[in-house]
Amino acid sequence: MNWLQRHWDARAAANFMLGGAGSGLMVAALFVDDPSVPVILSLVLVASGLTAVWLEIGRKLRAVHVFFNPFTSWMTRESFAALLLFPLGIGALYVPPALPFAAAAAATFLYCQARILRASKGIPAWRAPQVVPLIVLTGLAEGAGIALVFSVNEFLLFLFALAVIARVIAWWRYRAAVRTSALEPAGKTLVWIGTLAALVLVFVPPLAGLAALAAGGWLKFVLVTRASFNQGFSLPHLPVRGSR
Amino acid sequence: MTRKVATYCYQCVAGPDLLTVKVRDGVATEVEPNFAAADVHPGGGKVCVKAYGLVQKAYHPGRVLQPMKRTNPRKGRNEDPGFTPISWEEALSLVTGKLNEIRRKGLLDESGYPRVAASFGGGGTPQFYMGSFPAFLTAWGPVDMGFGSGQGVKCYHSEHLYGELWHRGFTVSPDTPLTNYLISCGANVEASGGVAGVWRHANARARGMKRVQVEPHLSVTGACSAEWVPIRPKTDAAFLYALIHALLHEEPRSRLDLEFLYRHTSSPYLVGANGYYLRDPGYGQPIIAGSLEAKETHVALEVGPDGDVLAEGRLEGETAFAKLVAHMKPYSPEWAQAICDVRAATIRRIAREYLDAARVGETIEIEGRRLPHRPVAVRLGKTVTNGWGGYECCWARTLLALLVGALEVPGGILGTTVRLNRPMSERHKSVKAGPDGLMNYPFNPTDAAHWSAQPNIRNAYRSMVPLAADGPWSQALGPTHFSWMFLDETPPGLPRVTLPELWFLYRTNPAISFWDNAALENRMARFPFVVAFAFTRDETNHFADILLPDAGDLESLQLIRIGGSKYIEQFWDHEGFALRQPAIAPRGQARDFTDIATDLAARCGLLEGYNAAINRGTLGVPLKDLSLETTKSFSSEQIWDAVCKAASRELTGGAEAHGLDWWKEHGLATRPFPRTAWYLYPTLAAKGLRFEMPYQERLLRIGRELGRRLHEKGMKWWDKQLAEYQALPAWKDFPSEWEASLAAMGGDGKDYPFWLLTARSMQYAWGGNVGMQLIKEVADNVAGHRGVILNASRAKELGIGEGDWVRIATPKAEVRARAVLRQGIRPDTLLLLGQFGHWATPHAREFGMPSMNPLVPMSLELTDATGSGADLVRVSLRKAA
Amino acid sequence: MTRWAMVADLRRCVGCQTCTAACKQANATPPDVQWRRVVDLEVGEYPDVKRAFVPVGCMHCDDPPCMHVCPSTATRKRPDGIVTIDYDLCIGCGYCAVACPYQARFKVDKASFAYGNPTEIEMQTFHPERLGVATKCTFCVDRIDAGLKKGLKPGLDPEATPACVNSCIAQALHFGDAEDPDSNISALLAENQFFRMHEELGTGPRFYYLWDKAR
Repeated sequence: MNWLQRHWDARAAANFMLGGAGSGLMVAALFVDDPSVPVILSLVLVASGLTAVWLEIGRKLRAVHVFFNPFTSWMTRESFAALLLFPLGIGALYVPPALPFAAAAAATFLYCQARILRASKGIPAWRAPQVVPLIVLTGLAEGAGIALVFSVNEFLLFLFALAVIARVIAWWRYRAAVRTSALEPAGKTLVWIGTLAALVLVFVPPLAGLAALAAGGWLKFVLVTRASFNQGFSLPHLPVRGSR
Repeated sequence: MTRKVATYCYQCVAGPDLLTVKVRDGVATEVEPNFAAADVHPGGGKVCVKAYGLVQKAYHPGRVLQPMKRTNPRKGRNEDPGFTPISWEEALSLVTGKLNEIRRKGLLDESGYPRVAASFGGGGTPQFYMGSFPAFLTAWGPVDMGFGSGQGVKCYHSEHLYGELWHRGFTVSPDTPLTNYLISCGANVEASGGVAGVWRHANARARGMKRVQVEPHLSVTGACSAEWVPIRPKTDAAFLYALIHALLHEEPRSRLDLEFLYRHTSSPYLVGANGYYLRDPGYGQPIIAGSLEAKETHVALEVGPDGDVLAEGRLEGETAFAKLVAHMKPYSPEWAQAICDVRAATIRRIAREYLDAARVGETIEIEGRRLPHRPVAVRLGKTVTNGWGGYECCWARTLLALLVGALEVPGGILGTTVRLNRPMSERHKSVKAGPDGLMNYPFNPTDAAHWSAQPNIRNAYRSMVPLAADGPWSQALGPTHFSWMFLDETPPGLPRVTLPELWFLYRTNPAISFWDNAALENRMARFPFVVAFAFTRDETNHFADILLPDAGDLESLQLIRIGGSKYIEQFWDHEGFALRQPAIAPRGQARDFTDIATDLAARCGLLEGYNAAINRGTLGVPLKDLSLETTKSFSSEQIWDAVCKAASRELTGGAEAHGLDWWKEHGLATRPFPRTAWYLYPTLAAKGLRFEMPYQERLLRIGRELGRRLHEKGMKWWDKQLAEYQALPAWKDFPSEWEASLAAMGGDGKDYPFWLLTARSMQYAWGGNVGMQLIKEVADNVAGHRGVILNASRAKELGIGEGDWVRIATPKAEVRARAVLRQGIRPDTLLLLGQFGHWATPHAREFGMPSMNPLVPMSLELTDATGSGADLVRVSLRKAA
Repeated sequence: MTRWAMVADLRRCVGCQTCTAACKQANATPPDVQWRRVVDLEVGEYPDVKRAFVPVGCMHCDDPPCMHVCPSTATRKRPDGIVTIDYDLCIGCGYCAVACPYQARFKVDKASFAYGNPTEIEMQTFHPERLGVATKCTFCVDRIDAGLKKGLKPGLDPEATPACVNSCIAQALHFGDAEDPDSNISALLAENQFFRMHEELGTGPRFYYLWDKAR
């Protein structure tokens, strides 16, 4: 009996899409000639994602309570990472050596996002350990993809290609562990558009980047909102009804 | 301030459930079991899910809270009745104006039918809410209560009639506390047995009882059974016959309870060449053979219908048992396999398990008495026990008990209540000697001197159905669809069926719960004056002229009998009374039903007869020296105070006479009810009477006599039904009756390949609670409440997916439902749970859940000899575009 | 140490939903919020098919994933094992609801009533503090605490026992102290074979399903 969770809808998915791409972009900004616009965009994306998820919570005025459980909650940890990311990101605009620190905060943020899904024990498509590299690499590939819009250098292109290939490997490993038919179309898009087309299009870097971004975003949207089936209930033993 | 008020719920026949209502600051908030009743109630004092809807019911925003009058004289589904609020004074003036006009004209109309009719729903349960209204009806005189809303045709009809005949079993139950092996043909006890049923069967399972559930779909009862046998619909008789065949022809005779058969049944009666008992020429009593299976020659008479002497002199006879053995010879498990789609080996195994579990020869001590112990039972469900084949199934079921001595003994099958024999409150007292050493039965007369073609009510039960008897319940046990059918075309020989001039409705919704709803609506629309006691607007009171709001379940006063032995699994170790009392003040202008009844009686000048009826015991207890002065009007509190005192006296042998205040505080009072009273066998044995099984000589004679009477009046339209009067019923191709009905509608079997069935929903059955959001919400957790159940593989073949809209149709009508795909149903069967399809009832009209009822025709051809039909129809299934 | 636990005897349960209704009423939950409910499951294929009814709800796990993921610490675990939600702390992020393997948590953002507008009873029993936050079965913790104060025994005395257990018409639901070797449920667990839902997830649910006698 499958039960599709409806607690997290497009607003929560937006956090994974925008926040993932944004944090990936902050990491990619390390390899961009002039990182200021990418850094600003990264912060805007992460902020937009957090705003979207803020719109989803039931008690918006209490949002600060999100910081109360750093001991076990990856959501709290994600929030702290965001809390670091913004001053460091803004600082990097003025003090460029701060950028690696901002990128580290962004990577932490991205990792937290992956662990948020991984900690959701009710949902087989999320709780699989393979979801962590998939989410992290998707964020990095998306970030690198966006970075290609602003700056093209061979190293960045190389990193982009590497991230895209790593992502598709992560996808295949994830798919081998988690068979979710709801993800199949988005998975195909990831392979064909987000990977193959993106790699073919490296000669038109912005297009390649956008292809990787779009496919990754779509995969995360589907993962959060449409493939998020609770495992349901199952009976390891059937009740004995009277004598056999 | 929070307080708990003790009361009862009797929304269904499996009640009453004893409960408390938590009332906070005058608002009822919560139903809980009455834990004080845990020790006296057979279900641990627990309360069925339906009762939890009572709180919401009290505050339902769709409630009718003031009297209303119709302003649109045109009646029809698409006509807005234009109900406008009026005062109680105006409402009662209008009603009593009409009643008094009728009294002036005469209580019977030109056809001899009562001008006043009344319909009540749910297996008689409305009487537990209508206060003293029965006393008003008694004072009024003849009332036609035969306009059915399902009773008579959607009940366990053959069981009611034949069950009472054979063992005072209007309802028949296994002795669940002791039964170890139960064959359950379609009986959905986990849905229809109420708290006591569920509680007891859970205990029985824990004890190790094996229940084999034989039914086309896997019901909740099937789910909770040890084994499911998915039988082809309406072939249960063949399955049961094969079990009997196996016991009679494949097992050593010595394994049967031969002593019981010889001493306590009519098995050793000698049957003559014409099929009637050989009788002693002097005393006229049947001659009993020296052994169970014998052919003997005696100087004897063989007397047929109307006292015709068919033979006399030295006559050879064969015992009824020997005839039975020969009769069952063809019905082998292999024969049944082809009919039922159940493997012969399975049938044979079940027969052997049944026999092994029967413990023939063993005894058990109950309350110091040693009684036979036969922990095996067969139970039958609705659609098995009504319509064609119902007689055969009931006969086979009773016979299966008979063969191993498991009839009315510990562990076997028990009749749990009587409704046609008197007194209704005590089945043992209804055991009176009748002819031929058998129990008496109040058949309607079929002899030339007493049979009458002038029925007392429109469904003509007295003329057509001898087994329906002629007591207070008989009207509802006749062919209740005839009242509706004959309105347009009365068959020859009966006085033209007329519209009642005034029709009372209470807790009933025939526009939903009866068949062929469209035809029914058209007829109801012609009723000139309809008075509905209304909870909310509904599909039937849509045709009413006056709506009267009676105070609801938690708002009014009534004392009822509880315990003893009642419907289904309601046989208790205690008996007594329980009070329903106002937990909250009546909402709006709702009035206590007793006050309404008193007002009606006073306005009709019937106060004397009304009070006299109350004094005689119409409200459940004779008042004796507490009698009310007959010329005065009394308040509901005064009336029930007197009833409470009389009940107290009855319970305590006169020692106490607690009034209403005491009962309000305590809610209930009981005394022990002996368990030996569950079993009828000792009473029959003590009176030297035998069970009238297996041979039905009386029914054969009555059938022949009835045939003669009808033919004398030129009435040939009942001939098919007359054929059911057989001494030893033969298997007939019962499913073909419904296939023929399809053909009569212009359908070809291959285009309509599915059997459409229904099943009870515990959350709704009998409850009239379809408007309760709470009930809808929780019921939806049980498969089938959101659409039609069909076999998942078959659905795949048809390209139908879960939740798809499908069209279910006969050549005449169609309903739409969402598909619910399940494995637990035969591929040739569809199931529509409950009875929905509402279009006027608030909340329920938004369900989008249909009923099978619009698809089922009302048909003389599908009416069996007892006047019943079955919830069964052949349909097509298509994905909706 | 007390460890409250629920036992559901699947051999007895008939899926009647009386517990569902009793819970809804006792806890005044809004439409479609069912802290306790009974799932109707089929196993197998026609004609070899079995149907079972499985009471579910919060399993008050030993190691509750809902608690670990909760960012606000609204979800906590009491020493007696009951998993609680502090409605004043909860931000309604829904993370606990997706983390729970048992579909036990609900979140309703807007007030909803049985028939649109609130009826008198709903006006009296409305819980504004439950809007926009996570809710779930509490094991009727208020009844337990109040009952214990009166010296009553939860699981045996109705006043101190969860409403679903009180209401069960099949004696399928039982409640008691799993750590007390003499308790009603310890006896049931000793006498019968049982399993816990999704044991492999390591949540340590405190909801035991009986399915056969002990061998």
